[in-house]
Amino acid sequence: MTGERKPRAHATEAAAKVPRMSRELTLRAQRAKQEGKLVAYTFIACAYDEIIRAMDIVPMWTENYAGICAAKRDAQRFLEKAEAENFSRSLCTYALCGLGFDAWRAELGEMPPDAPWGGQVKPDMMLGSGQMVCDPRNKWYQAAQHYMPDVPVYVVELPWPPYEADYDYREVQDYYIKYIVQQLSGLIGFLEKQTGKKMDWDRLSELVDLTDKTWNMIWEAYELRKAIPCPMDTGDAMNTMVPIAFMMGTQEAYDFFKDLYDELQHKIANREGVVPDEKYRLLWGGGLPAWFALNDFNYFNSKGAVFPVETTYRNVEAIYNFDVDLTRISHPLEHIAWRWLKYWTYWYDRAKKRPGSHPDVERLIQYIEDYRIDGVVMHEAFSCRTWHPGLIWQLNLLKKIYRDIPSLILESDIVDISSYSEADTRARIDAFIETLESTRRG
Amino acid sequence: MVNNLRGLAAVDKYYRDYGYRARELKRQGRKLIGYLCAYVPLEVITAAGFVPFRIKGSVSEPITRADTQMETIVCPLVRSCFDMALKGSYDFLDGLVIPHACDSICRTYDIWKYNLNLPYSHLINLPHSADDSSLEFFKAVLNTFKNSLERFAGKEISNESLAQAVRVYNQNRAKVRELYELRKSDPPLISGTEVAKTLVAVMGIPVDEGNDLLADIIREVKQRASVPAGKSARIMVVGAQIDDVALIDLIEDSGAQVVADDLCPGAREYFPLVDVTDDPIDGIAERYLRKIKCGRTYREMKASYREYLEDRFGHIGQMVKDFKVGGVVLYIYKYCDPFGFEVPAMKSYIESLGTPVLYLEDEYSMSTIARLRTRVQAFLEMMANGGGR
Amino acid sequence: MKEMYFAGVDIGSRMTKVVIMDEAILASLVAATGPEQRKLAYKVMEEALTRAGLSFDDITYVVATGYGRINVPFADKQITEISCHARGVGYLLPTARTVIDIGGQDCKAIKLNNGRPVDFVMNDKCAAGTGRFLELMAEGLGVKLEDMGTLSLAAKNRVVISNTCTVFAEQEAVAKLSEGVPVEDLVAGLHEAIATRIYAMASRLKIEKDVAVTGGGAKNIGLVRALEAKLGYSVLIPPDPLVTGAIGAALLGRDAAQQAIKSGLPLVRSERRLQETKFFV
Repeated sequence: MTGERKPRAHATEAAAKVPRMSRELTLRAQRAKQEGKLVAYTFIACAYDEIIRAMDIVPMWTENYAGICAAKRDAQRFLEKAEAENFSRSLCTYALCGLGFDAWRAELGEMPPDAPWGGQVKPDMMLGSGQMVCDPRNKWYQAAQHYMPDVPVYVVELPWPPYEADYDYREVQDYYIKYIVQQLSGLIGFLEKQTGKKMDWDRLSELVDLTDKTWNMIWEAYELRKAIPCPMDTGDAMNTMVPIAFMMGTQEAYDFFKDLYDELQHKIANREGVVPDEKYRLLWGGGLPAWFALNDFNYFNSKGAVFPVETTYRNVEAIYNFDVDLTRISHPLEHIAWRWLKYWTYWYDRAKKRPGSHPDVERLIQYIEDYRIDGVVMHEAFSCRTWHPGLIWQLNLLKKIYRDIPSLILESDIVDISSYSEADTRARIDAFIETLESTRRG
Repeated sequence: MVNNLRGLAAVDKYYRDYGYRARELKRQGRKLIGYLCAYVPLEVITAAGFVPFRIKGSVSEPITRADTQMETIVCPLVRSCFDMALKGSYDFLDGLVIPHACDSICRTYDIWKYNLNLPYSHLINLPHSADDSSLEFFKAVLNTFKNSLERFAGKEISNESLAQAVRVYNQNRAKVRELYELRKSDPPLISGTEVAKTLVAVMGIPVDEGNDLLADIIREVKQRASVPAGKSARIMVVGAQIDDVALIDLIEDSGAQVVADDLCPGAREYFPLVDVTDDPIDGIAERYLRKIKCGRTYREMKASYREYLEDRFGHIGQMVKDFKVGGVVLYIYKYCDPFGFEVPAMKSYIESLGTPVLYLEDEYSMSTIARLRTRVQAFLEMMANGGGR
Repeated sequence: MKEMYFAGVDIGSRMTKVVIMDEAILASLVAATGPEQRKLAYKVMEEALTRAGLSFDDITYVVATGYGRINVPFADKQITEISCHARGVGYLLPTARTVIDIGGQDCKAIKLNNGRPVDFVMNDKCAAGTGRFLELMAEGLGVKLEDMGTLSLAAKNRVVISNTCTVFAEQEAVAKLSEGVPVEDLVAGLHEAIATRIYAMASRLKIEKDVAVTGGGAKNIGLVRALEAKLGYSVLIPPDPLVTGAIGAALLGRDAAQQAIKSGLPLVRSERRLQETKFFV
C-alpha cells in the first residue's frame, strides 16, 4: 500500500485536457533546452507573459512544477533537501520544492533521480517579481542563485495602490502606471540583452490584444457557472487555472476557454450539473489549494456540494467592465500596466460605497449573490503568508457587514503533505455540511 | 528624565514599563502614531508634530487574543505585537503606520486597521527593489504619505520641519553609533543587554528625548572603570527584529559578550544616515530604500556572485572585523520570508570569513528559552575548543 | 600519584545516566528520570559510587550534562550534551565524523573533527524523530515498545505515513490497521517516517562517514536499518548507546583536570558535596 490515490474526477472535458497540457509545459522547457532556446524560470501573475512570448523565451513555471510534485505526492524529498540546506520548513513550499530540486540538481550535475516528468531544466535566466504579489517572488530566485551563480536574475516590480480610507486610488494611479511601465521596460531591456534581439513591438501588441480577448473569454465562461445546476466547479477550475496562469498570451489558451465556454453552454442547455443532486452551492473564498488533495472536491461533491465560483486563480475580469477604456491604450506596456492596476483595484469603488467594507469582502459578496451561494470555504495553507493571512478576518467582516453565512476554514498546505490529515479534513467537511443542512432547513 | 531617573536607570523604567512615556505624552495632549518595523520614515511623522511609537511584542505573554483575527502562520513577532495591541497595551495610539516591509507586516495591515479602528492608518507602499525607477516611485509614495499625514494633522508639513527632523534623527543615529563604539573594547564598557534595553527604551519616546537619554548613557558608561580583558567569546547577533533582551541575556549569562549586531533595533537600523538634500524627501527615500541593508529589499547583482554576497552582507563582515567578533548567532524567526530565504547565503558568507555561525530558528516566546540555552552553550563550548569552523 | 576518578551525570528527559571512570569505566548506571531530578541525581550517583567501590571524596571532578544538568548541585561543571556526546563518541568510536543521537524526547546530530564538535543541529521541539513518537504509536497500535523495531523488519509492504504530526500520524495508522493493513507494514512505515525526519535534520550538517548512532533510538534495530537505508551505508553503534553522553561528560572532567595540572592552575570545584541523606524511591 503506497501513497497512490484515485485521481480527481473531472466534470468537464476541458479540465480533463489539462493534465496533458500541464505536462507539456515541463517537456517544452526540456525540448527548448535541447534545441538551444532560452529558458527562463517564471512566476505567474507577473504581467510579463506577453513580453516573454514576444521574445520567444520559453518559460519554466516553477510554481507549476512544485504543484505537480505535490499532486504526484512526490514533493517531500525536495522539501527535505531544501531543509538540509537550512531553509526553514515554514517558507513557501513552492519555493522549498523548487530550491530543493535546484540544489539537488546542482549537486548531482544532472536531474535528481526519477524527477517527475523528467524534471525542471536549469534555466538561462530567472525572472522574479516584486511588490504586492508576494515576498518569495523576489527572494526565491535570489536564493536559487546560490546553487546557480551563473544564472542571472531579474526582478520586475509590479505594485498596486493599497485600499485606504483617506484617499482614492485614482489620486496615485498615475505614478503607479508610470512606475510599472518603467519596470516592464527594464525587463525588456534585460531580455534584449540576454537574447541579443530587439523586442518586436507589433508582435507584443498582438499578444496584448490576444490576452485581453482571452481575459474576456475566461470571464464569460466562468460567469456561466452561475447556472443552476452548476456545470463546472472549483475542482475543475484548479485544472483550468493552467491556461490562465501558464499559457496566457497564446492562441491555445484562448481556444481552450472558447471550447470551455461552448461546453458549459451545452451543459446548461441540458441541465447537466457537476452533481446530480445539487444541494449546496459553495464559494471557495480564498487560499491556494492543497495540490495533493484535490479529490477533496469530489468528497464535497459526494455530499451534494458544488463550488460554482472561487477567488483563487480567477485572475481576470472582463476588460470591458473596467472604468477605463483599455482599447484606447495602444502602447502595449501602458496597456498592460492599466490592465494590471484596474484588475487589482476592481473592487475598491464598491467597497467605498458600503460602510466598513473592504474590496476583498465586496468580491465575496458579489459572488455570493451572483452565484447563489450557501456557504464559504477558505483554505489556510501554512506556508503562504501572502494569500492566507486575512482569511479569518475576511469571514468575520463578511458576517458583520453582509450576513451570517456558514463558513469553513480548512488547514493544510499547498505542497507539504505532512501538514494534511485526510481524516481531519473530511471530519471538518462533514460538520460543515451538517451546518449547511440545518441552515437550509432553519 | 523619568521619575528623576537618568541614563540607564531611566532605560530600565522605559524598558519594563514600555509605553510609560507615551501615556504621559498622551495625557499632555500629544498624538502618538504607532508603527512596525524600521522602514517607516519617522522624520515625516515627527515633522508633522506627532510622536512615533514603535509597537513591540512581549515574549513572556502567550498569544491568546490575536488568533481569533490573525492566522497563526504569520511572523510570530507581528502576531505578538497584534496580540498586545488587542489586549490594550497600546490604547493611547491615535494612528497606525505600516510599511510594506514584508508579507507578514503588509498583508496583515487590514486586520490591524479593522480591529484597532484608529482615527488614522496608512500603508506605506515601499517597493522591494532599489533601482532608480523604484527610488522615484518611493518618493511619490512618501509624498502620498506626507499628504495623508497633513490631512490628519490639519496642517502642512513644511520642508523646513522635515529638514529639522532629518537633523535630529541623524543626531540620534550618530549617538547610537557612539554608544556602539563603547562596545569595541575588550571587554566592552557596555553590555549587550544594556544596549538592547536602551534601544527599546528609545523606540518608545520622542527622538529629542532619546537624544538626551543617549547622551546621558554615553557619559555614564564612559565613566566606568575599564576592566581587564576577559576570555569571554565576543558574539554578534544577526537577525530580523529583537525587541526584548531575552536572547541577549541568555548569551551573556552563558559567559559570552554580545558586542555587535545586525538587528532592528540595532546597527542595521541606526547606522545609515539621511543625506541632507534640498527636498528632504529625496534624502529620506534614499536612506530607507537603499541604505538600510535588510533582506526585504532586493538588491541587484552587479558583478560576480561572490561580489553580490559582499554587497548584501559585507557590512556584517565589516562589523565582525571592527568589533573583533568571534562568533555569530543568526537568529531568525519561523515564518520569516525575507530572512528565511537568505540563511544559506548569509551563513556561507559569514563562514567564509572564518567566523563560526550558530543558526537558530525560533518562535517569539520565552517558552523556547531552555532549548536556546542548550544551543548557545554548545556553540560557546565549540568556540572555546577552537571548533565551529 | 593519586588515582583520579571522574564522574559524568547525564540527566535526560526520560533517563538519567551516571558513569564513573578512571582509565576505564568502573560503573555505569541508567535509571528512569522521573519528575524529581535532583533527588534522583543523588541517588543514582550514590548507587554508582557503591558499584565502583568508591566514596564521593574519591571523585576528582563531576560533569553534569543533559536536559536536567542544572539539577545536579554536586556537579563541578555543566556542559551541554552536544559536547559530551561528541567526546564520548570520539573515545568509543574514533573513526566517527558524524553522531546522530536519538533520545526519548529529542534528537540531535553533531559533526566531529578530530573528536571535537564543530557543528550541530537539534530537534527538541517536535516529537517526530524521537522515541516519544514511537512510544505513542506503539500504544496506539497495541504493540510493546521494545518489539517495534523487530516488528518493522518483518514488513512486506511498508506503508507510507505522510503526516509527521503525532496525533494525525496515529489516526492514520490506526485507521489503516482497522482496514486490515498488517501491523508490521504500519510499524515499518512509522520507522521510515522517523528516519526521514532524523535524516532531514542531520543533512543540514552535510553528513560524513563514519556515522555513529547513540541514544535509545540506537537500540531499535528497525530504526537503525531505516536510517542506514537513507544513508546508503552502515552505521556504528557503541556497546551501550545510552551512556555515551555520560562517558563523554566524565572524559571532559578528566580533560579539565589534566588541563589544570598542565597549566599549574587549581582545579575549581563546586562547593556542594554529595549529601549523605537517604532518599526513598
